[in-house]
Amino acid sequence: MATEHESAKYHVTGEAIYVDDMQVSEQLLYGKVVYSPHAHARILSYDINKALTIDGVHAILTYKDIPGENQMGPVFHDEVVLAEDEVIFIGQAIFLIAAENKDIAEEAAKTIIIKYEVLPHVVTMEDAMKSGRLVQPQRKIENGNVDAARQEAANILNGELKTGAQEQWYLETQVALAHPGEGQELKVYSSTQHPSETQALIAEVLDIHKMEVEVEIRRMGGAFGGKETQANHTAIWASLLAVKTGKPVKICLGRDDDQIMTGKRHRFLMRYEAGFTDDGLITYMDVEQNADAGSSTDLSMAILERAMMHAENAYYVPNIRIIGNAWFTNLPSNTAFRGFGGPQGMVVIEEIIDRIARKLGKDARELRKLNFYGIDERNEAPYGQIVENTLLHTLYDQLLETSEYEKRREEINAFNAENEFIKRGMALSPVKFGISFTTSLLNQAGALAHIYKDGSVLINHGGTEMGQGLHTKIKDLAADELGLDPEQVKVNATSTAKVPNTSATAASAGADLNGMAVKNALDKLKRRIANSICDDFNKESTVQSKPEEIEFKGGKVFDSSNTDRSMDFAESIMKAYLNQVSLSATGYYKTPDIHFDREIGKGQPYYYYAYSMAVTEVEVDTLTGHYTNIRTDILHDVGNSLNTRVDIGQIEGGYIQGVGWCTTEECKWDKNGNLLNYSPDTYKIPNIQDIPKDFRINLLEGHPNGAKTIRRSKAVGEPPLMGALSCWLAIKDAVSAAGNHQIEPDFSLPATNEVILLSLDKIHRKLKSSE
Amino acid sequence: MSTNNQITFVLNDELVNLNFSDQFGETPITTVLNYLRSRPGYAGSKEGCAEGDCGACTVVIGSLSDGQISYTAIDACLVFLPMLHGKQLLTVEHLGNSSHLHPVQSAMVETDGSQCGYCTPGFVMSLLALYKNYNNPSREVINDALTGNLCRCTGYRSIAEAAAISCANDGQDQFTARESDTAKLLASIDSSSIYIDTKKHVYFRPESLAETLDIKKEYPNILVINGATDIALRVTKLKEHLPEILDLGNVAELKEVKESEGAIHIGAGVVLEHMKTLVQDQFPALYDMLAVFGSKQIRELATLGGNIGSASPIGDIPPVLMAYNALIVLVGSDGERVIPMREFITGYRKTQQANDEIIKSVTLPLAEDNCKVQSYKISKRKDLDISTVSGGFSVTLGQDGQVTDVCLAYGGMADQIKRAAKTEAALIGKPWNRDSIEAATNLIDEDFKPISDARAEAEGRTVMARNLLMKFWSDTI
Ligand SMILES: Cc1cc2nc3c(=O)[nH]c(=O)nc-3n(C[C@H](O)[C@H](O)[C@H](O)COP(=O)(O)OP(=O)(O)OC[C@H]3O[C@@H](n4cnc5c(N)ncnc54)[C@H](O)[C@@H]3O)c2cc1C
Ligand code: FES
Ligand code: FES
Repeated sequence: MATEHESAKYHVTGEAIYVDDMQVSEQLLYGKVVYSPHAHARILSYDINKALTIDGVHAILTYKDIPGENQMGPVFHDEVVLAEDEVIFIGQAIFLIAAENKDIAEEAAKTIIIKYEVLPHVVTMEDAMKSGRLVQPQRKIENGNVDAARQEAANILNGELKTGAQEQWYLETQVALAHPGEGQELKVYSSTQHPSETQALIAEVLDIHKMEVEVEIRRMGGAFGGKETQANHTAIWASLLAVKTGKPVKICLGRDDDQIMTGKRHRFLMRYEAGFTDDGLITYMDVEQNADAGSSTDLSMAILERAMMHAENAYYVPNIRIIGNAWFTNLPSNTAFRGFGGPQGMVVIEEIIDRIARKLGKDARELRKLNFYGIDERNEAPYGQIVENTLLHTLYDQLLETSEYEKRREEINAFNAENEFIKRGMALSPVKFGISFTTSLLNQAGALAHIYKDGSVLINHGGTEMGQGLHTKIKDLAADELGLDPEQVKVNATSTAKVPNTSATAASAGADLNGMAVKNALDKLKRRIANSICDDFNKESTVQSKPEEIEFKGGKVFDSSNTDRSMDFAESIMKAYLNQVSLSATGYYKTPDIHFDREIGKGQPYYYYAYSMAVTEVEVDTLTGHYTNIRTDILHDVGNSLNTRVDIGQIEGGYIQGVGWCTTEECKWDKNGNLLNYSPDTYKIPNIQDIPKDFRINLLEGHPNGAKTIRRSKAVGEPPLMGALSCWLAIKDAVSAAGNHQIEPDFSLPATNEVILLSLDKIHRKLKSSE
Repeated sequence: MSTNNQITFVLNDELVNLNFSDQFGETPITTVLNYLRSRPGYAGSKEGCAEGDCGACTVVIGSLSDGQISYTAIDACLVFLPMLHGKQLLTVEHLGNSSHLHPVQSAMVETDGSQCGYCTPGFVMSLLALYKNYNNPSREVINDALTGNLCRCTGYRSIAEAAAISCANDGQDQFTARESDTAKLLASIDSSSIYIDTKKHVYFRPESLAETLDIKKEYPNILVINGATDIALRVTKLKEHLPEILDLGNVAELKEVKESEGAIHIGAGVVLEHMKTLVQDQFPALYDMLAVFGSKQIRELATLGGNIGSASPIGDIPPVLMAYNALIVLVGSDGERVIPMREFITGYRKTQQANDEIIKSVTLPLAEDNCKVQSYKISKRKDLDISTVSGGFSVTLGQDGQVTDVCLAYGGMADQIKRAAKTEAALIGKPWNRDSIEAATNLIDEDFKPISDARAEAEGRTVMARNLLMKFWSDTI
């Protein structure tokens, strides 16, 4: 089944309502956050009195005005809501202003005087690692015996690889609207991926019960992980101002403020060593992953954990040691971003294989195949889970064929032989992505389904809609379960008042978890309806219909062994109502059979794996460093797709977002800790001209999920992003062609045109000096 | 000129008179986007950046000329309200609704062109302009029309497909049906000069050059704007007040284009999208540069005079004008004077323009047959990006194949657009071959000491500058 996005018609007409679009009473105040211009400083004194006298300013808050805890760290409580006497990154909130319009708020902000004593700070990865300051203790995952394998290795290779930060760049910046009600009541519309946590933190900061706070979100204008924890901040600030002023308050961060104040995908600096046989089989790998956590922990440990658990990506490495460090820097706390450490984890082994191939003079795809996880053997992941039902070999065989890899490789070689300044490159890269929150208890979800007397159905569930099509999938699923058309079902805005204590919509698990919870609720309702109509059917009759034989299909409810006994769905609902049957039910689901012991780094953290494979071909102008994506082929495993249109959209969009991380999206800081690329003027996400000239996406057919997920589907949100590593590797391949594949290009990620040109410059100099 | 303090435009199909004397509400520097979003029922247009880079705010402007309405997509976040005077402003709300979709909207639904939907109204409006102007556009035209719209969700393929599907016809729609009524409404608006004087702002939008020069004389420090694509950011980003503005957008003389023997004269007020078509055949290097200049939405607003007048070290047009040895025509209270582009810029955002002058036009002489001209732009993203390093190069070869004249004008390498003087000198008299080029590229390091910034490090810039010379050579042999 493939329906359009449930909100598509509202999107294209501008009717879709986002938080910033909501019509609010004339009392609405605009919130503004005054933040630190220093990466590290002591606040010596400040003066807000003048600002307070400006006409139209309703409140200016400092940390002293916080009724509850001055804390908004989601997992570890190491992040203040408003700075007290010290600021630890540029963009850290110090004061909150509520004013009648944005201009007044700006004016007030300019009037506030703060005196600082500037203190030493840490901005670069190198300095962070030298400082020795980790945000949480080091982590380790180990399997086999690396030291013994090193002794026996035929070949050893080592290196260092840096990957850059990436800004989520959701089109809709962080936004929240807090509406005070009676007593302590507060209703907050927040563009958040995690309403329950937003609610919990607001309650803690205000020192009120969670029952007083309702957080609601209809849809986000993109999130990509950036609103998993850091949407909390804006929501908390708006709530503080709303409670203080007694008026609705909206905070919508301007683009520059959003980029300056919020965290990004973690920068990593990786050091690695690997041993391999003369055939290119990897015998051991020793990796140290250093992540830039920023100034507090946020989700860094979970992200690092995922990076560590994806260090071997699709390959079996018998002896492996992965050390993970999350370092403190004086930057905004880095946070979730689609892939959640996975991309950084995987890129190292992809680089290792690429280097081995160059050393051995082989096509890297052969070595990838050689090192893939086996089916029945060579299938234990470093953390002890057995990689079952791997689809790597299936994907590889199909994709190699459909992408015409061999033929194109020859064409590329011929092209490169004839062209000096333009070079082509191509690469294949696999993705094996573990599905489940690695903090096992988070793998739970709730739902609340109502059927109204007219037979229309309203579904509430704990997942949030950020464009990924979750509500579309849920709506289709619910309709199908009840035998209705999707038009008869509506998915409600997500609200903490409807479904409590939910997990974030993250880890690609939205449909897996919430789909099951919704099904559970609907199963209950169907049973009740079945009982109710059997009572009716069976009344004054000797033929007895059995509730378990009642089916819901084609808008009808009927006895499958006696199809004359049938009625319209709406009629069955009215009957149930008249029979005094509850037409509202909750649903619940938790993922079975998963566990992980962090202390020893072992367990069964993932319910299953999702697989993908991509081949990308690029053309690089070696004089400008500009590259063109000539063709990309992706073959992707979504099990039985819940909605092929939504899934293909996720794959395309995820790949392009990954390409941005790999190519043009660069975050740089000056030595004072100022982000230099703080607006789209200098921060460049892909645009329409950057997509592959020929973009071929296929879903792997005939492979339902081996795990018992909803309709045997697989998660699709994150895995496609990492297919973009094929683009990074293809660019590297083109650069390598300039040195006839004899010289290992000096490379980092993103491969901006500057990186490409400097790498080529080195190759040319090496070629010259060896002439 | 009388103070009218009022502008008139057509919002969708309704005539709107906006008065600026009110103490609250709109000012002359309120952007069209903020104006729309502050009105009930107009939240469809989104703000994604407030600087012209994302297109979420795209609206379509209908302009009347010769009884016909032409439609262009622009970024509402960069346009000040008085610039709307005499125009039609079309917003997404007017295109269709969820029960009656416009063809571009239904195509977007059909191809899954939206995911989160936040970029979508902007794309839809860009598509509307495409729909009205092209029948069966090529993929190149589609990409060009959508370069100014960022989407973080879809990966664009579906949106390009929506463009192809919906624009495969002659662009008839409800606007066509109403066109004559709208034209009448627009024609009813007095399009002469506008003079707004509130307590906080004066804003002039004169219709003639004479008036312009008078105002310039009377207000020596007045801020001149034309497309305002540079200046609007001082309002949206730096939150400046800009108390005095002289808007050249309605001065007919500045939009004139003339051809003479061996040259074309382009008015400073010509927008770059129009200029692109003017230079396509005879000045290919300029065309190439304009093809990667900003986005279509930007080029529909930005003017030639604005690009030269901002005298930015990374402005894209001046290096190419230098390569073509163009002439800048200035006009002031004492009349006109002509300065070669190669001498016009004198320092960081400094030019030879006097305080009472404005740029009137640019004279572009045709390149001689033995002169080769090329332009290059290296930017982090190929399209809709500011140059990291750019080049406008020309070389003239004598009959013996030796270099008789060469101009290597670089952007992004110094605090102003600058020629590589030593490199040029080294090439004079040399044969145009690889050895000469390789020897000359070493001098780039002596010509420039570039800075490191958000776009690139100094080392990277130097490599780029050297490479561009090599590229110029390889493209001209
Ligand atoms: C998203 C975006 C993308 C951009 N991309 C590019 C790009 O690719 N390449 C590039 O070079 N620039 C780019 N720019 C910068 C800008 O668009 C150009 O410089 C543009 O040509 C300015 O023209 P304007 O008419 O909008 O100028 P305005 O903003 O109106 O004015 C700019 C300056 O020129 C002066 N000026 C205007 N007209 C005259 C005149 N007739 N005589 C004397 N002085 C005058 C003004 O006083 C002001 O100082 C971009 C800007 C944005 C917002
Ligand atoms: S809001 Fe981004 S271009 Fe106008
Ligand atoms: S659909 Fe989300 S940004 Fe385009």
